[in-house]
Amino acid sequence: MSASNRAARWIGEAVMIILSLAFLYPLFLAIINSFKSFQEVMSDVIALPNHWTFGNYAYVWDFINYPRLFLNNTVITVLGLAGIVLVSSIAAYKLARTKSRLSGIVYFICIMPMLIPFQSIMLTVLKTARFLHLSDSTWGLGLLYWGFGAPLAVFIYHGFVKGIPKELDESAMIDGASGFGLFFRIIFPLLKSVTATIVIIDVMWIWNDFLLPLLMVNGSPTTKTLTLAAYTFVGQYTSDWQYAMTAMVMAVLPSIVVFMFLQKYIVKGVVAGAVKG
Amino acid sequence: MASFYRKWRSKLEFGIFTLPVLICVAVAFYIPFVMTVRYSLTKWNGISKHPKFIGLDNFRQIFTGDANFTNAAWFTVKYAVLYIVLINVLAILLALVLDAKLKSKTWLRAAFFIPYILSLVIVGFIWKFIFMQGFESLGHSTGWHIFKMSWLGEPGLAFISVLFVSIWQSIGFYLVIYVAGLQSVPGDLKEAAVVDGAGPVRRFFSVTLPLLAPSITIAVFMALTNSIKVFDVILSLTGGGPGGTTYSVAYDIYRDTFTNNLYGYGTAKALILFVAVLIITVIQLSIFKRREVEA
Repeated sequence: MSASNRAARWIGEAVMIILSLAFLYPLFLAIINSFKSFQEVMSDVIALPNHWTFGNYAYVWDFINYPRLFLNNTVITVLGLAGIVLVSSIAAYKLARTKSRLSGIVYFICIMPMLIPFQSIMLTVLKTARFLHLSDSTWGLGLLYWGFGAPLAVFIYHGFVKGIPKELDESAMIDGASGFGLFFRIIFPLLKSVTATIVIIDVMWIWNDFLLPLLMVNGSPTTKTLTLAAYTFVGQYTSDWQYAMTAMVMAVLPSIVVFMFLQKYIVKGVVAGAVKG
Repeated sequence: MASFYRKWRSKLEFGIFTLPVLICVAVAFYIPFVMTVRYSLTKWNGISKHPKFIGLDNFRQIFTGDANFTNAAWFTVKYAVLYIVLINVLAILLALVLDAKLKSKTWLRAAFFIPYILSLVIVGFIWKFIFMQGFESLGHSTGWHIFKMSWLGEPGLAFISVLFVSIWQSIGFYLVIYVAGLQSVPGDLKEAAVVDGAGPVRRFFSVTLPLLAPSITIAVFMALTNSIKVFDVILSLTGGGPGGTTYSVAYDIYRDTFTNNLYGYGTAKALILFVAVLIITVIQLSIFKRREVEA
């Protein structure tokens, strides 16, 4: 490599790093302003805090009952995810293995909802959920995600199961395995990579989801999610930016921490999901 | 007798395996959808016990005399077209740079991807803070005119802001799709083009871009489906303002249903959105199908 070539490479590298830092500058500003007092935010947003204060965090932590919301998010996400994976994988397996008209129709019914925009049914979803007593509860919301997550999950699982040789089922059947036993002992372990993809896409979606939780669990401070609390908080404190930014940082921090540790897998899962979906 | 038994057993098993998912999608989609169709033919404020049946009046009114809907539809179309074009062009450019074996590649990919893992509503609020407070400070310290413009206060600028923030949030997603696509372009093809004397631009258009076609298909499809439904970011960034100029179709439906309590009317709009999405998807899928056959 010639010297000028190397210089060009270094310049390119430097330009890209500066660009990426500029790209993330808004997040940096949100973070530093969460450590300032109201006066400091108002006098200069871009300066570093004169006195780093954790007071905003203590205040918001208590005010929105952060541990409670964190628990809510976790319950909703874990419950939703467990159901999506379980219900969709068994169905997709059976649908991929059964060659019949009925099977084709059921598969179509399962994946067709991918075409329905959520806003087209938001009001009537709320009414249905109220009728079934699923609204105003984190458990109910988690259960609802089973249906909303199923179409994509069935689609991805279905495509994957088709690639698993059928002889595997048959030899397992000769060994006496059948039904759920066969599925969970032989097939499900083979679906590990695709399950990981679904888990990654769905965790990002459910953890950050806004509109469905807004309709379903926004009524009481004890059932809210992190995003909802941040949203309501800003509504109440329109000009108290130091608190608003604190609430934002607290809402996004879990995602960023998880991303830092699992970056490689998350990016891989998102790409795999997009390519298959 | 044994075969009869086995047949029923396998039917039963089919039912046990598929019934749970059918119940789930019925509750989440099909029951609400049928109700949407029914309510769209009624006049209903959500309070009275019995929605009044009015046939297709809602649809007639939406198409003939609803300036809100027309504006929202126009906004959404403009937004979707610009979003799809800009995000794909920018993501391809960035992916090409990242593919050039930079040492900081891992960091760069992570940096551009981070906003994508954040909730759109929160991204909207953070940018609202930047536009309203941050730009003031930046204007003071740099003196640049660009920071002194009212990015959320003027209709044209607010549109750009919504578009910009959406792109900022999701470009990482498209970037990783294109990076993955570029990695599947065989290196010897590019080398062969170099040997044939093709310059970087020629190489890009004659070798890389055609081989990137599957990635482009996916990315355009995702960009289209996401942009027609744009909602969260507008809610927190502009709230539909200034003067109601940044209402998208989805947000307009939300406004009619939950703010104006026009339940019947709002669901009629919701149904129109569904039909629009359906038509666009079918057209898109058939175009892609045909292209893939040719390729």
